[in-house]
Amino acid sequence: MTGRGLLWGLAAASAAAVVAACLIGSIPLGLGRVAAALAGGGSPGDQIVVWEIRLPRALAAFAVGAALGASGAAMQGLLRNPLAEPGVLGVSASASLGATFVIYYGLVEVGGFLMPVAAITGALAATAFLTIAAVRVGSMVTLILVGIGLSSFAGAMMSLLMNFAPNPFSLADMLSWTLGTVANRSFADLALAAPFGIAGLALLALSRRSLSALTLGEEAAAGVGVDLPRVRRLVVVGAGLATGAAVSVAGAIGFVGIVAPHLVRPLVDHDPARTLAPSALLAGLILVLADIGVRIAPTSAELRLGVVAAIIGAPVFVWIAARRSMGVA
Amino acid sequence: MLPDLTASGVSVALDGRTIVDHASLRVGSGELVALLGANGAGKTTLLRGVLGLLPRAGGSVLMGDCDPARLSSSERARRIAYLPQIRPLAWPIRVRDLVALGRFAHGAALGPRSPLDDAVEHALTVCDLARFATRAATTLSGGELARVHVARAIAAEAPFLMADEPTAALDPLHQHQVMGLLRASADAGHGVLVVTHDIGLAAQFADRLAWMAAGRIVADGTPEATLTADRVTQVYGVRAAVRRIDGDWSVTVTGAA
Repeated sequence: MTGRGLLWGLAAASAAAVVAACLIGSIPLGLGRVAAALAGGGSPGDQIVVWEIRLPRALAAFAVGAALGASGAAMQGLLRNPLAEPGVLGVSASASLGATFVIYYGLVEVGGFLMPVAAITGALAATAFLTIAAVRVGSMVTLILVGIGLSSFAGAMMSLLMNFAPNPFSLADMLSWTLGTVANRSFADLALAAPFGIAGLALLALSRRSLSALTLGEEAAAGVGVDLPRVRRLVVVGAGLATGAAVSVAGAIGFVGIVAPHLVRPLVDHDPARTLAPSALLAGLILVLADIGVRIAPTSAELRLGVVAAIIGAPVFVWIAARRSMGVA
Repeated sequence: MLPDLTASGVSVALDGRTIVDHASLRVGSGELVALLGANGAGKTTLLRGVLGLLPRAGGSVLMGDCDPARLSSSERARRIAYLPQIRPLAWPIRVRDLVALGRFAHGAALGPRSPLDDAVEHALTVCDLARFATRAATTLSGGELARVHVARAIAAEAPFLMADEPTAALDPLHQHQVMGLLRASADAGHGVLVVTHDIGLAAQFADRLAWMAAGRIVADGTPEATLTADRVTQVYGVRAAVRRIDGDWSVTVTGAA
């Protein structure tokens, strides 16, 4: 399969999944009714279901997945490790901590934009810390451990905030960030995070050729002409912006940034540059499908997307890690 | 005629310790210079200092009228192809893609859709790698992989080539293949500087030997002028027998000095 065919295939599948997400739900809508509503016609009820509930939710799932998939692929390229991912390395947790902080102090009332800003600040602090640590520790296994420590610390700080939650409502809000969900997201929520997410993805795209060269190792990459400080800055800021924007929309959703690049890599000859865009599309597709699953699952309480992603993703993480230690990957 | 690469009195300190101490070295175009010395003598640090990958504590490096340390990383890479000691690849990329990375500073992109690059195809042919072009580089033997790395340095088509122990961990046949490729590159007009631990191999292929001990260049000249048992003792701390049989050098280490 050529890279371009892969991209078109994934884009078409993602579009189909978003349409499917509009069809399926507590009130099943036929393709005709969804198409009419999308085109601006149909009954007012259909219009509300499609435009205010299902479409923004599906697009939120796709955008969050795309941001996390691209961030994961870029961080894996920079750190030369298939296990590097915003969730595993504590970037998502740090972003969630930023979001939780805003909820705790009721700052959402001050301005909706504070949520993405706080989440992105948390994510940027984490990616910067990790990159400084990566330069110092040298060993990628050690870096993963540093990331797990960072994740635990951010988790502990969130627990602290929840411990002192002023009221049950803010506790429930904070809990929903840690579980991760795209339920009840509006186009307004998406619009707040979109500029940051798009800027982040653009920066990651600029790093792509350098990520290919980093396959050789840092010194050899510098030898062929890679500007190491520049590529580090691009990935740190790009992944920080994209992950922070994703977390501000959906909370922490882990592992999709590992699973998608892992599936894409064999299809693009393991070239980190060509892994970026398909990983973004595939991660978006995975989350749209997972969210459809979440919505149609016959559970009494609402199933959270982040929980499902972790249930699927964590075993994949363990599998990749075990294969690596045996020297296969 | 391309300009020489001249390092004069280069010093490099790491964590306050002087690793390279007023080292001077010259590599002319068409010339293969072997840098010899014990582990820890400062050979790799000298290369990094010359390239500007490490800050110099003193001295100057000139390539024509410019200092590589003052160039941007891609400008430097277009003038000096640098092969550091071989590290494991992060991903099992294809051999042709790996060789194409040598063209990074020329804007190369990887993949089947990137335009066919004559320099890459030429390097693959010269290094006898054409039949491996679509193989995952991680499935090659150590000797084949060493050739792939030499191929990516050749693909860069830079006036100078610096290779740090490109023959490490190779069997005698592959050592000769790799040194032969570097020799051919020098014969084609490039200036080549190679770090190696194999004195006999260096003497056979190099025009000049630069001997390094404790951060200093203690001797620099043709094998005939500088390769003696005393020199081997001075630089490596071993007793050795140096013989010349029908023009070929033989260095036998007989024990610690």
